[in-house]
Amino acid sequence: MSDIFRELEEVTVEQYEHQDLPKWLADPVLMVARSPELYQGKEYLVEILAAQVREYDVYAEAGCCKWAYDHEDIKRTLRWLEE
Amino acid sequence: MAIYLDCNATTPVDPSVASVVMRFLEKDFGNAASPIHDYGVFALAAVEHARGQVAEVVKARRDEVIFTSGATESNNLAILGLAEEGIRRGRRHLITTAIEHKAVLEPFDEMARLGFEVQIIPVETDGRFDPQLLADALRPDTLLVSTMQVNNETGVLQPLTEVADIVSNHETWWHVDAAQGFGKEFEQLRHPRINLISVSGHKIYGPKGVGALIARKRDRQFPPLRPLMFGGGQEQGLRPGTLPVPLIAGLGEAAKLAVRNNNERTYKCRVFREQALATFSALGAQRNGAEDHTLPHVLNVSLPGINSDLAIKALKNVIAVSSTSACTSHTHTPSHVLAAMGLTPEKVEQSIRLSWCHMTPEVDWHEVETILRALRG
Repeated sequence: MSDIFRELEEVTVEQYEHQDLPKWLADPVLMVARSPELYQGKEYLVEILAAQVREYDVYAEAGCCKWAYDHEDIKRTLRWLEE
Repeated sequence: MAIYLDCNATTPVDPSVASVVMRFLEKDFGNAASPIHDYGVFALAAVEHARGQVAEVVKARRDEVIFTSGATESNNLAILGLAEEGIRRGRRHLITTAIEHKAVLEPFDEMARLGFEVQIIPVETDGRFDPQLLADALRPDTLLVSTMQVNNETGVLQPLTEVADIVSNHETWWHVDAAQGFGKEFEQLRHPRINLISVSGHKIYGPKGVGALIARKRDRQFPPLRPLMFGGGQEQGLRPGTLPVPLIAGLGEAAKLAVRNNNERTYKCRVFREQALATFSALGAQRNGAEDHTLPHVLNVSLPGINSDLAIKALKNVIAVSSTSACTSHTHTPSHVLAAMGLTPEKVEQSIRLSWCHMTPEVDWHEVETILRALRG
């Protein structure tokens, strides 16, 4: 498994177990992290996904600026990964 | 083709960076300011991803990264962008060093024209400035201190850790031109006291035409910069214009690789350096710059009895090197950096700069030595 998939798994587990990442979002992300053979050539998107999970914030849309990622961002990246 | 030894002027683009740039040139070409469809949304995602990758190098926040066209623009924005604040608050004293790049010295000239008092700190013969001189120069009305991280001509690392201690109890804004050191020497730039950091893409195996100004918040406030251009409001209103997504994504990839591959790159550069040093030592060359503070990919030497222009021409089929910085070499003016270090005009005329990288292939050093010995006659 390449580093980025391992990193995605680690950060997702961390965010799910100790932060606010919901199960319905963590599960499909973990599916990607644990299936690197399905996402060969899409590492750039996996990197973005890992960054979005790492900086996931339920309240990302609150306030005047959006400096975290929310469930819409992660869902969209998951969709791009499947295209 | 000659082996390219001018990486301080510009580096080759890393293949992985080129691949990312091509993706956003050919396929995902959306405008990041149009996130109303997937093209725009993905472009915006790529920009924000790159912002995080650049921020990670210096442990800044993602929102503290402002993309620019390169370090020259970043330097201009950091310096001239503070003019209004200085005028408003009656702080008109500025400090910089004698070995800065023209992209810093010329904005300082402009600030002087606007009525600011510019104080230039000299450097020692080893190419480093004395932090105590900077401490002595600080005044209550000092608006800005601007010091480079690594000199472009000598590769000498400047004493920024000491400067951080000196300015820690002073209100001055502190700008660091890190064009040559960003992504190569990490610890210094991670000091939270540094307010503004200029970054260049094409010095770290990224594309030309892109860079960043990292503007660290102080007391939750951004440095009080004013934009130099207007129209569009991008980049927090500080740098308008359509974001060059391919270049920004490439810069992000280059920043990521700089962090990930630093040890391997440094090792390769050190091995190369030993070979270069052996050749030039055999020729009796004088090293310019503190050896124990020079980054491992740079060597600046003066060759006794050999004019550098003649040497560069004679070597042109073997190695491609320069006599001074790329930005001044075309003007044929003597190096202000080497002159500031106290080199005689003769030594300056005999100086060449070699700068390589982890991708540089083997050089036939024996041939280099033979050509240079023949020149000496």
